[in-house]
Amino acid sequence: MTEHITHKPLGGQATQGMMNYARYLTAVSAARRPSPIRILTELQQRSPPSLISLAGGAPNPNTFPFHSASIKVKNGQTVTFDEAVMKRALQYSGSSGIPELLSWMKNLQKSLHNPPSFSYRAEDGQMDMCVTTGSQEGLCKLFEMLVNPGDNVLLDVPTYPGTLAALQPLGCNLINVPSDQHGMIPAGLKEVLSQWDPSEIHKPGSGAPKILYTIPNGGNPTGASMTEQRKREVYELARQYDMLIIEDDPYYFLQFDKPWAPTFLSMDVDGRIIRTDSFSKILSSGLRIGFVTGPKPLVDRLVLHIQASTMHTSTFTQLMVYQLLDSWGQEGFLRHVDGVIEFYRKQRDAMISSADKWLADVAEWHAPSAGMFLWIKLKGIADTQRLIMEKALEKEVLLVPGGVFMINSSDACPYVRAAFSLSTPQQIDEAFRRLSSLIKEALR
Amino acid sequence: MTEHITHKPLGGQATQGMMNYARYLTAVSAARRPSPIRILTELQQRSPPSLISLAGGAPNPNTFPFHSASIKVKNGQTVTFDEAVMKRALQYSGSSGIPELLSWMKNLQKSLHNPPSFSYRAEDGQMDMCVTTGSQEGLCKLFEMLVNPGDNVLLDVPTYPGTLAALQPLGCNLINVPSDQHGMIPAGLKEVLSQWDPSEIHKPGSGAPKILYTIPNGGNPTGASMTEQRKREVYELARQYDMLIIEDDPYYFLQFDKPWAPTFLSMDVDGRIIRTDSFSKILSSGLRIGFVTGPKPLVDRLVLHIQASTMHTSTFTQLMVYQLLDSWGQEGFLRHVDGVIEFYRKQRDAMISSADKWLAGSTGDDYLTQQ
Repeated sequence: MTEHITHKPLGGQATQGMMNYARYLTAVSAARRPSPIRILTELQQRSPPSLISLAGGAPNPNTFPFHSASIKVKNGQTVTFDEAVMKRALQYSGSSGIPELLSWMKNLQKSLHNPPSFSYRAEDGQMDMCVTTGSQEGLCKLFEMLVNPGDNVLLDVPTYPGTLAALQPLGCNLINVPSDQHGMIPAGLKEVLSQWDPSEIHKPGSGAPKILYTIPNGGNPTGASMTEQRKREVYELARQYDMLIIEDDPYYFLQFDKPWAPTFLSMDVDGRIIRTDSFSKILSSGLRIGFVTGPKPLVDRLVLHIQASTMHTSTFTQLMVYQLLDSWGQEGFLRHVDGVIEFYRKQRDAMISSADKWLADVAEWHAPSAGMFLWIKLKGIADTQRLIMEKALEKEVLLVPGGVFMINSSDACPYVRAAFSLSTPQQIDEAFRRLSSLIKEALR
Repeated sequence: MTEHITHKPLGGQATQGMMNYARYLTAVSAARRPSPIRILTELQQRSPPSLISLAGGAPNPNTFPFHSASIKVKNGQTVTFDEAVMKRALQYSGSSGIPELLSWMKNLQKSLHNPPSFSYRAEDGQMDMCVTTGSQEGLCKLFEMLVNPGDNVLLDVPTYPGTLAALQPLGCNLINVPSDQHGMIPAGLKEVLSQWDPSEIHKPGSGAPKILYTIPNGGNPTGASMTEQRKREVYELARQYDMLIIEDDPYYFLQFDKPWAPTFLSMDVDGRIIRTDSFSKILSSGLRIGFVTGPKPLVDRLVLHIQASTMHTSTFTQLMVYQLLDSWGQEGFLRHVDGVIEFYRKQRDAMISSADKWLAGSTGDDYLTQQ
C-alpha cells in the first residue's frame, strides 16, 4: 500500500465540531424527511423471528424470472449468485448502499486517505459514505442539495461538461478560479475571495460563496493535477471563508506517477470536504456505480434524496462489484488499478509522441499526469469550434472543441481535447497527422 | 392479447397540437441544455468508418475486469453476454435507454394502450419513452420538472409515501381529491377545481393546479382501481383546466380481473398524460428499471436531467432485461405476468379469508375489500 500514497502527519489543531451544516442546505434539501416505513423495518430487524410483519411493501422475489447468475472475471475467477443470493440481488435494498460494500469502501478510504473525520461524532461531520448510480448522480444531488438560485459557486474552468450541465440550470453564478497545468492557483482563489469580508460571510445576503468545486487529479479536459501544497493552501482559504469543497476525483485511480498526492479528504480536519469517487474508469462505466464520502449530516441529506428518486443503486450491481472486491482484497484491487494505469500510461505516451511528431509547430500542450485526455492549444486559431464542426469532418478527424468546457460555451476558445482511451496508437498518430494538415490549411 | 385489454374507439375529436408544454416546466427544467458532446457522437455515427475520433470521453472497456456473463432464467432459458456484449454492457450508453429496449417497450405500449399520440408530430406531444432507474426515479424527476414552490398539486390520498417524499420538499400545496374504493371521485375533483375559473387559469398567478397525480390500479395503500368511466370524466376535467395527469401505474400488471380497464394513456388525445410503468413487481425490484411514457417535449426534458445525474440506467441491466423480453416476445411476457397475478391472487384470497375469519365483526373494525 505504501507505494501508492504518502501519509503526512496532521498539521494544525483538530477542529472537530466547528461546522454548521444546516447553513449549506437548500430549502428543498432541508425539508426532506426519512421514510416512516423505514422505522418499521428497523423495528422488525430488532425483533425476534417470531414477529410476523405484514408491513413490508416489497414484492415476492419468487415471482421474479431470473434464477441465478455466473459472471466470469478476467483473472479466471467467477462471481456467482446462487438462487438465494439472486433473490437478494433482485430485491430492494437500503438507500445508502448494501452494508458489505459500504464497509469495504470505508476501509478503502481509511487506508488510502486516513480521513481525520473518520471517528468524529456524527454531528461533527463523521466521515460517512453512500453508493450512487454513478458518481455523476452523487454530484448532481450534491449540487441540488447545496446550490440556490443566485448563489456564487467557485470552480476552475475549463471543467467537466457534466458538472456544468448539472449546475447551470440551478441558476447560480459560476465564478472561475484561475488555474494552470497544476490545477487551481491558490493566489487566484485568494484574489477571487477578496471581494468578500471573512467576518461578514455568515450574514444573510452576504453572497459569499459556500461551495468550491474542483477535479484535483487528471482534470477533464486539462489533465492537470493539484500538488499537495496547493490543496493545503486552498483548504486554508476554504476554512477562512467557511466553504465546503466538493472534491470530484474520478481519475484518482488513473494517476500515472507515484506516490499519489494526498487528497483533500486526507487533510479534512473540519469536515468540510465532500468527495466523489468513481469506478467508471477502472471497473465499469455502464454499470453505474460511484460513491460519495463526506460529513454524515450532509450524506444523510443526500441519501434522503436517493430514497425519493432512484431508491438505491441496483442491488445486483452492488453485489457483483462487492464479490469482486472481496475476492481481490485491497491489495488485489490496487494491483488491478496498476494494470489499468499501465494501459493508459502507454496510450498517453503514444499520444504525446505523435503530438511531438506532428503538432510541435502548430500547437502547445502539457503532458497529463493522470486521466485520459490531452488538452491542446492550437496556435493562431482563436476559436476551434468552427474548425472542428466544419473542417474536421472533411479531414476525417474529430476532437472536442474547447468551448464546451467553459462556463460560456459560445466564448471563443483556442483549445481542443483529445482522448487517448479508445484509439490505437496507429489511429492516434494518423489523427494527429490529419489535425496538423487541418491546422496548417486553416492558417494559410 | 385481446383477453388482457379492451380497445374502445376514440370518442370526440382528436385534438393534436393544443398543448403548450413550456408552461408546465420549472425554470430549472427549462434551463437544461443537451450535452454539446452528444452532437459530436451523432456526427461520428453519420460519418464513414475512416473517420478517426479522439472526441469520445469513454474509458476503454478492455480494462474492465468482467469478461462475460450467464444468467439463468427460471423457464430454462439463459441470458448470455459473450465478451463483445459484455463490453457493451459495461460501457456508457444513451440517456433515454438502449434502442432495442425502448423499441420493445414502445411496441408493448402500442399493443396494450394504442395511444392516440403514438404518431403525433414531436411538438404536438408524440408518445415518447425513456428508461429510468426504477419508476420512482421517473416520478421524482417528473415532479422536479413540473412543480414549483407554492404550486397546487392534486392527488388522492391516502397515497404512496414515496410520492409524498418526493413532492413535499418541493414546497407545493398538496390538495386532496376525494376518493373511494373505485379511486378518485370525478364529482369530488370537479368540486375541488371549482375554486378556479377555467377561463382564467392561464393568467399568471392564477394558482390553478397544473398537475394531477394518481395511481389508477391497485393503489398503494388502498388497492383501489379506477373504472374506465371515471378516468374519462377525470380526463375531461383535466382538459377543461388544462392539467397534466401523471398516471403512476406500478400495479398495472398485477390486476386480478380481466379485461383490464383502459388506461389514461389509451384515451390521451391531447398529449397530457405522463405515465410511469414499473417492472419492480413482476421482473425485479432490486435491478431498478422503470419507464416513463409521455409527450416528447416533456420526456426530452426529463432525459436532460437523467443526462446530468444518473446518465443512464445500467446498460448491463437493460441488456439483461431486453434479452429476456426478446426471448419471450409480448405473448411470453404476458404469460409470465399471468403467472405472477395467479400468485398474488391466491395470496389476496388467503388474506381476505383470514380477515373474514378474525376481523369481521369482533372489534367493529372495518376494512376495504380489495379489487
